[in-house]
Amino acid sequence: MSASTVAFSDAQLAEVRRLQALYPDARAALLPVLHMAQETFGHISLEAEEYVAGLFDVTPAHVHEVVTFYTLFFRQPKGRHVVAVCHNLSCHLAGAPEIIAHVMRRLGIGVGATTDDGRVTLQAVECLCACEHAPMMQVDDRYEFGLTPEKVDQILEGLR
Amino acid sequence: MTAEKLLTRNFDRADSHTLRAYLETGGYTAWQKAQTLEPAAITEEVKQSNLRGLGGAGFPTGTKWSFVPKNHTGPVYLVINADEGEPGTFKDRYLLERDPHALIEGMLIAARAIRSPTGFVYIRGEYVEPWRRFSAAVGEAYDAGYLGRGFDVVVHRGAGAYICGEETGLISSLEGKKGWPKLKPPFPAIKGAFGAPTIVNNVETIAHVPHIINRGAAWFASLGTKTQGGTRMYSVSGRVTRPGVYEASVAITLRRIIEDLGGGVTGNGRLKAVVPGGSSAAILRADEIDVTADVDGLRNAGTMAGSAGVIVMDETVSIPEALMVVARFYAHESCGQCTPCRESTGWIYKMVRRIVEGRGQKDDLDTILDVARRGAGTTICAFYDGAVGPYISYIEKFRAEFEALIPK
Amino acid sequence: MPKLTINGQAVEVPAGTNLIEAARKVGVEVPHYCYHPALSIAGQCRLCMVDIEKTPRPTIACNTPASDGMVVWTETDRVKETRKSIMEFHLINHPLDCPVCDQAGECWLQIYYMRYGLYDPRMRDEKVHKPKAVPLGPHVMLDAERCILCSRCVRFCDEVTGTGELGIFHRGDDSEIGLFPGKELVNKYSGNVVDICPVGALTDRDFRFAVRVWYLDSTASICPGCARGCNIEVHVNRRRPHHNEGRRVARLKPRFNADVNRWWICDDGRYGFTFVDDKTRLVAPSSREDGAVSDATWEEAIAAIVGALGRFAPAEIGVFASPKMANEDLWALRRVLEQCGIRRVAFRVPPPVPGDEDTLLIRSDKNPNSRGAELLGLDGDGAAILRAACVRQVKCLWVFGHDLLASAWDPAETDAALRALSLLIFIGTNSNATSERAQWVLPAAAWVEREGTYTNFEGRVQRFRQAVEPLGQALPEWDILGRVLQALGAEVGAPRAERWFRELTSGVPAFGGMSYQAIGDTGAVLNAPSAGQPRSEPASRTPLR
Repeated sequence: MSASTVAFSDAQLAEVRRLQALYPDARAALLPVLHMAQETFGHISLEAEEYVAGLFDVTPAHVHEVVTFYTLFFRQPKGRHVVAVCHNLSCHLAGAPEIIAHVMRRLGIGVGATTDDGRVTLQAVECLCACEHAPMMQVDDRYEFGLTPEKVDQILEGLR
Repeated sequence: MTAEKLLTRNFDRADSHTLRAYLETGGYTAWQKAQTLEPAAITEEVKQSNLRGLGGAGFPTGTKWSFVPKNHTGPVYLVINADEGEPGTFKDRYLLERDPHALIEGMLIAARAIRSPTGFVYIRGEYVEPWRRFSAAVGEAYDAGYLGRGFDVVVHRGAGAYICGEETGLISSLEGKKGWPKLKPPFPAIKGAFGAPTIVNNVETIAHVPHIINRGAAWFASLGTKTQGGTRMYSVSGRVTRPGVYEASVAITLRRIIEDLGGGVTGNGRLKAVVPGGSSAAILRADEIDVTADVDGLRNAGTMAGSAGVIVMDETVSIPEALMVVARFYAHESCGQCTPCRESTGWIYKMVRRIVEGRGQKDDLDTILDVARRGAGTTICAFYDGAVGPYISYIEKFRAEFEALIPK
Repeated sequence: MPKLTINGQAVEVPAGTNLIEAARKVGVEVPHYCYHPALSIAGQCRLCMVDIEKTPRPTIACNTPASDGMVVWTETDRVKETRKSIMEFHLINHPLDCPVCDQAGECWLQIYYMRYGLYDPRMRDEKVHKPKAVPLGPHVMLDAERCILCSRCVRFCDEVTGTGELGIFHRGDDSEIGLFPGKELVNKYSGNVVDICPVGALTDRDFRFAVRVWYLDSTASICPGCARGCNIEVHVNRRRPHHNEGRRVARLKPRFNADVNRWWICDDGRYGFTFVDDKTRLVAPSSREDGAVSDATWEEAIAAIVGALGRFAPAEIGVFASPKMANEDLWALRRVLEQCGIRRVAFRVPPPVPGDEDTLLIRSDKNPNSRGAELLGLDGDGAAILRAACVRQVKCLWVFGHDLLASAWDPAETDAALRALSLLIFIGTNSNATSERAQWVLPAAAWVEREGTYTNFEGRVQRFRQAVEPLGQALPEWDILGRVLQALGAEVGAPRAERWFRELTSGVPAFGGMSYQAIGDTGAVLNAPSAGQPRSEPASRTPLR
């Protein structure tokens, strides 16, 4: 990615300033701005980290600490869709390992990987707090409940 | 005991998340009333109600509020912990999605009690729909003039870290840092978010406040046990017929939660074990469920009410495998700040996994127990003590099952 | 001032003192890794647990301020057990590679394991693997597997230098210290992170694999790198001279002085000692005639100087003293000048580029003793001396250490001045372009090879001590000048630095009443009114008689 592609628009920069002004300390807007960066640039590259550091009074190392700490920040390009299957206790009891194995077979990739066509990134994640619908997963912004192999197939087919 | 629903009363309405629906069912009347009360009177009412924190620690809410220094001149912040993440818990998701105005009204009242001009609602990053719903409700509340007149609400999204549910980890994260818990003292009520006195309360806790103000502390206290008032939302999952979120008096027994609310055990139909308060609570055997599910009842039973996430296991469940899943979670979520937790959550996971995979050694179980006991109580926050609950209880209560997996 | 008892001993400490420092005051060690008195409290290592009466379980001492009536016990059974556990946690993922680790011998994992650990290892699973031998910058090497994540280095860069290069990335047992990828640890104080790293995670690239620390001898000294006069230790490798290509000075380490440098030194100072053992060192007196250099004896050299002092009229002699010379040297020089009636003397030679300066330690004056030279009345006009040389008013020039050809002065004019001289005498530790032009070159001992005192910019007089023998035939300047004085027929006492200092204290009021004993290891401040504030024109300077 060239330097020019990692930059917010003027409207986004105004939004950064608005977010910073919401808090007693502008740094508190770091997570919201990193969310914005990820939405805008697809993932948070090192270049994006440095860019964001420049919007705050923090060093790139401090931004890197934050980006590497949280699981929702992608430091490598991700697929167009992220399929995050819960493998915590209630989902495990409801067959999450089989669901994960099924998704892996369907997509032909392992956990943490992205399909060659860049369509889907697969993750196994900790509790998403929808245990009443176990086994479940998050597909991008949506929760998908009560998974069965058939339902998983349907959902995966819908991802373009 | 009452079957009356407070928090979940509107959940069946399709439009329960809207201001209109909330107003139709008595919404914001408690806020009207609270505005006639002195801040100290609100705190006192909440104290008398025996409302206890429903996020996990079970600390008396009114008492917590009273820790804010009386003569403090700068700002005080109200922070709502909507970083629901305790495995087996999903109640706050319902509240954010289905009754967001209950939280906003509760915040208005709490903010008046602690004299806070600004509330921050920290919603876990994965909760996109709850975040949208709640943000929309905040917008409605601003438009209707509930917010923006002496009290503002900032909705803040997390980014994926269980530790941010720990109140000082949450504050660090809110401040734009890694979610590393802070050293105590100072406690947040003295020096919290942005260095100001801060009260951090769980979503469900605050959603109770309008009911207390409307109907009185005595009424609320009478719904529960001697030391804990009201109802709470039990998240029931695992091997039960009807997994779901159920509101009940805190005086309900664990057996009734499993059998009546959850509809009984599935699998082979025979209960083996239950985790009563989210994964950090010590596990109970089938013969230990005739206890009330309030904070003190479960504490006396050697476990904790925690976040009231009830995970049910029937006899076909492998306890060692369950512990492996739980241990993996704690190893993954340890923030890495203090040594005992950082180093031993990973180590214990490796040992449990090795046992489950049939490569255990004779003394592994004693090592796990010893390491867990030695690490307990040595860390900055309660995360590790939460991990120790399952490490020790799963092994102590089901030791034969673990031993059976270790090659002779 | 809270009064408390620690292990039964009563102690009173200033309000806000934590229990580690309070215990230190009564000689009780509370083991710790992450705590450092110069840095914010992190409370991460959990090792500094103590028992406080009426507290349900051991508490970390670093985050507990002493309070009145507190009863603290540091050696209860449960504290000992807790420490042992914490030591095990620190070590389960540690590679235990002491035999190949530079920190061995001064590693707090080793020290505390022997004092507080001594458990039987139980870790039999694969340890966590992290990057090893990662150069963080020109001076610092990281081994992330040895790191105990105490965060001292991170806090140092955040709080002391304010540069914030380091961070702790990832989480859980994947946590790892490091730099933002692609960046370097290049702040001017980077070497300090090696000092405060309690383990072998951060090691000094310059010192790495040079010599085992147990072969080192340590001597209290003063950094000669600028006018601050940071207190240092000189670590010398005497016992294994074949190691490290015979380099005698192995490393410099900061030595705590609350009033000067606290715990720190800058990298320029830390690594500024290589001239001591390098090829340009002057090791024997020598003379140059018609381009041919020949070694001489000290007797011949002294005789040559004395001869010159007699041959030229005092006004024909110019002297460049050096602000790198000790007070003792400068006093001996002043006596020579007075003996001969020489008045053309200066010590300032402006550097080609102005020195860097900051608000922490670094001073733009890169000399350790400009203040001393001022106080001794040697602050004449150097440029005027060179101008006088150009017009042959000055015919003999005596230069201590300086390279006049590498200054801010016009090299052509300086060159012309040197050409016009009848005699150039050079005394210094190392050769340079100016010494190459001298008819007589006399080797001076480097600061680590001798004793003396410097006066820093704030007027603090500080002692440095001899760490190694002088190289070759090099002598301290005071000794050379003492021999000159003697040959001139003056009264000279025993050849000891301390005697010269005593003479100085009676000759220069600002130093009055001082002694080596009183200066001790932390220095003593000059008498008022000159003490404390630096000034460009010293009012108290004693004019040459």
